[in-house]
Amino acid sequence: MSETSAPVSCHAAPASVAIDNPFVNGLWKQNPVFVMVLGMCPTLAITNSVQNAVAMGLATTFVMVCSNGMISLIRKLIPKQVRIATYIAIIATWVTVVDYLVKAISIDVYKALGAYIPLIVSNCLVLERPEAYAGKNPVGKSMLDGLGMGLGFAFALTCLGTVREVLGAGTFLGVPLFGRNFEPWVLFLLPPGGFISLAMWLLTFTLVRERHAKQRRDIQEAAIAQTMEVSS
Amino acid sequence: MTPPPGPSSGVPMIRTLTVVSLLCGVLIVVTEVNTRGRIRHNQEIIMQESVAQLLPGIRKQITYAIEPSGDLTILSGVQGEGPRLFAGYDAGGRFLGVVIETSDRGYADVISSLYAYDPDKRAITGFKVVDMKETPGLGNRIGTDPEFAANFKDLDATEGHPITAVKHGAKKNPWEIDAISGATISSRAVGRMLEKGVRSTAPVIARNLDRIKRGE
Repeated sequence: MSETSAPVSCHAAPASVAIDNPFVNGLWKQNPVFVMVLGMCPTLAITNSVQNAVAMGLATTFVMVCSNGMISLIRKLIPKQVRIATYIAIIATWVTVVDYLVKAISIDVYKALGAYIPLIVSNCLVLERPEAYAGKNPVGKSMLDGLGMGLGFAFALTCLGTVREVLGAGTFLGVPLFGRNFEPWVLFLLPPGGFISLAMWLLTFTLVRERHAKQRRDIQEAAIAQTMEVSS
Repeated sequence: MTPPPGPSSGVPMIRTLTVVSLLCGVLIVVTEVNTRGRIRHNQEIIMQESVAQLLPGIRKQITYAIEPSGDLTILSGVQGEGPRLFAGYDAGGRFLGVVIETSDRGYADVISSLYAYDPDKRAITGFKVVDMKETPGLGNRIGTDPEFAANFKDLDATEGHPITAVKHGAKKNPWEIDAISGATISSRAVGRMLEKGVRSTAPVIARNLDRIKRGE
C-alpha cells in the first residue's frame, strides 16, 4: 500500500510530496490550485464572483469525498487496465447523485449551486485524486484526502474570486465596497482577468512557500554550525 | 531470459466494468426514484414563488393550459404539460395580470423564464429567469442584475414594435431592452423569447380576457 500521492496528470507536479496528514496536505502543502496547478478549467471559468467560487468549491468537495470513498472501497477488485474508466463512471455517478440530492433537499442551495454541479466533471483534480491516492489507500484516509483537497480547492477558488469580484465589480459577495463613483475594472470579470489573478496568486503563494523554506534552511544551518562549534 | 508477458485475460476487466456500471446505474436510479416527488414538489414551490414575485399582492392564482386551438383549460395545480398561463388576483378578487412561460436558446443552453403581462396596458411588467446555464458572472446576470430587471417595469408589448435587446446604453424606445455589457447574446435571447411569447399568447389572452378576469 502506497502512501505517496504524486500527481500523474498532464499538469505541473510539485517538487516534493511528503505526506503526513492527507487533510492538511490537500489544504496547504499540495494545494490543488496553488501547488499542483490542477483543475484550471473551473478555476478560471467560474471565479468571477466569491459566491460562484464558494459554491463550486463545496460541490466539488462533496463529490471528491464520495468518489474517493467508493473507489477506495473497491480498489482491490479493479484491474489496473480499466481503472480510469471505472473511476470516471464512479465520479460521473456521484455528480449525478449530488445534482438530484441538492435539487430535492433544498431549493435555496440548488439555486446557489445548481449551475455549477455539472461542471465538476470537467475538473481533472477529481480524477487525479483516485489515481494518485484513493486507488492505493484505505477508505478513511482516502475520504480525508478528498475532503482536504476539496477544501483546498475551495480556498484557492475563493482567493481568486475575491480579487476578481472586488476589482471587476467593486463588490464582495454582492455588497458594494467603493460607492457609486467607483469604475469597475471589467477586465477582471473576463477570461484575461482570470489568468492575471491566477498569476498574481501563484506568485504570492510561491514567494510565501520559498520564504518559509529559506527560514527552515537557515535555522537548520545555524543549528549545524552551533553543533560543529561545540564539538570543535 | 524472462519470457514475454502473455496476453492478459479480458474477463476480469469486463466483469469489473459490468459490476461497476450496474452499481452506478442502480445508485442513480435509486436516487432518482427517491427524490422525484421532492423535486417535483420543489419545482411547484419555485413556480408559485416566481409568480408571486412577478405579481405583487397576489392572493389567489389560477393556472390555465393553453390548448392548440387557442382555448384555455383550468389546471388543478401548477404542474402540467404544454404551455401554461398563470392568472393572479388580489385579496378582493381583483385581476392583477397574467404570468406566462417562455424560452429561447441562450449562449450556453436554452433559457426558460416567466414574464408578467398586463393585458389592459399591453405591457410586460416583470421578468424572471427560471432555468439557465449561462456563464456565471456574465450571461447569468440576466437573472440577477437590477439594472437589467428595470427594463421590464413597463416594457411596451403592443403590436408593430418588435421587442428587441439593444446595445448597452443605446435604449431609446419603450419596447427596447437595454442589454448587459459583456452578455449581449443572453440579453438578445431574452428579447427574442419575450417577442415570441407575447406574439403567440397575447391574442389568446385578448380572446379570453373577460373569462380570465372573472377567474373562470
